[in-house]
Amino acid sequence: MSDDWHSVTLKIPFASEKHALIAKQTIQVDPELQPHAVKRTIEVRGNFLVATFSTLTVRLARLASNSFLENVDLVVRTLEQFSEEAEKPPSS
Amino acid sequence: MPGKTRHSPLKNADRDYLALGLEGSANKFGAGIMKHSKDGSTTVLSNIRHTYITPPGEGFQPRDTALHHREWALKVIDECLVKSGVSMHEIDCICFTKGPGMGAPLQSVALIARTLSLLFNRPLVGVNHCVGHIEMGREITGAQNPVVLYVSGGNTQVIAYSRQCYRIFGETLDIAVGNCLDRFARIIDLSNDPSPGYNIEQEAKKGKRLVSLPYATKGMDISLSGILSAVEAHTLDKKFRSKGASDNSLEEDIITPQDLCFSLQETVFAMLVEITERAMAHIGSKEVLMVGGVGSNERLQQMMAIMAQERQGQVFAMDERFCIDNGIMIAQAGLLSYRMGYETPLAKTTCTQRFRTDEVHVAWRA
Repeated sequence: MSDDWHSVTLKIPFASEKHALIAKQTIQVDPELQPHAVKRTIEVRGNFLVATFSTLTVRLARLASNSFLENVDLVVRTLEQFSEEAEKPPSS
Repeated sequence: MPGKTRHSPLKNADRDYLALGLEGSANKFGAGIMKHSKDGSTTVLSNIRHTYITPPGEGFQPRDTALHHREWALKVIDECLVKSGVSMHEIDCICFTKGPGMGAPLQSVALIARTLSLLFNRPLVGVNHCVGHIEMGREITGAQNPVVLYVSGGNTQVIAYSRQCYRIFGETLDIAVGNCLDRFARIIDLSNDPSPGYNIEQEAKKGKRLVSLPYATKGMDISLSGILSAVEAHTLDKKFRSKGASDNSLEEDIITPQDLCFSLQETVFAMLVEITERAMAHIGSKEVLMVGGVGSNERLQQMMAIMAQERQGQVFAMDERFCIDNGIMIAQAGLLSYRMGYETPLAKTTCTQRFRTDEVHVAWRA
């Protein structure tokens, strides 16, 4: 990996470490469309989801971060809608 | 139907099973909840769908379709749960369309499915979209062992079941029949509401003239892109009147959009009936099951019925609730897989634009 690549780090807080882990596991399944030009790491630190993108071009840095943030948004909205129901004990 | 009866490998349900199905491979997002009861019956608890309709003359692009699904999916899933009276905790498995279809929309739905799976600790089941259509068709119509004509905007296949595989007997060599119809609807600027195919069907009823179009069956397969070019060429003909017949009835030697809709339908539907008949003759079947969005076209159903009756057979068709892409078909096919012990591990829940119908191991049938 060259030193002259671009890099972007995104740090997103979640309500809990559990939710951050759900986001990580959900998003990391899909590989980057151009793995030779975009290197991605996703990890959880406390309540934070931290993603780093190292890309060959500025354009790829924009695309990778944009797509990642869109995915995070979708996961966050899904968690928002369903996490309360999930916390409730199932009534038999 | 020749062959001895085999016992179904699908054992009777030891309890009630519930599956949530999520579908989003094209411009419809659907969520459905299916119940397989202990007594062997199956019930559709809810089936909600929202369609992304583009303005006349425009098709749907992957990016905008994915945005539509991201905007509507959670509302649709919520409505689906409320209508079914079931809570997420009672769901046994979360089924989603793994493919085939459009990449970005499929992935949007998969993300939601994975999140729900992790939140509620339920397994995921990736489903083949085509198999979903077939299984819902079998369930709703009760057809025993039909030749399946699967016709939609994205797929055109003639399928027959044999030894745990849905085998493709014939298919389109280029574009799907629904795609051909939808693109013609754009050429003549028809509304896409509720769907371009429905509007073509209504316009075709007003057609008065059969225009000559190439008839392109190739053995068991068909080719449609040439017909699309030919019907488009007619719109550039000097006899074409894009506003339809004027009140001035002196002009009789004209071609109207209604005539072209009629001619296009008659030609491509006749081709579909032919390749279906070939498959029926090949395997000695007397049943035709029509699935997929174009399967809700009543003219196609009528033409297929004429052919089937001539062979002392019958046609099984459904209404638009189950023909057009929906979530309940994904729940149905997914639940059948799940009951045979199939689950998709999280790492394998990627989506794929190309997923052949015959790649699926149909474990739940003999």
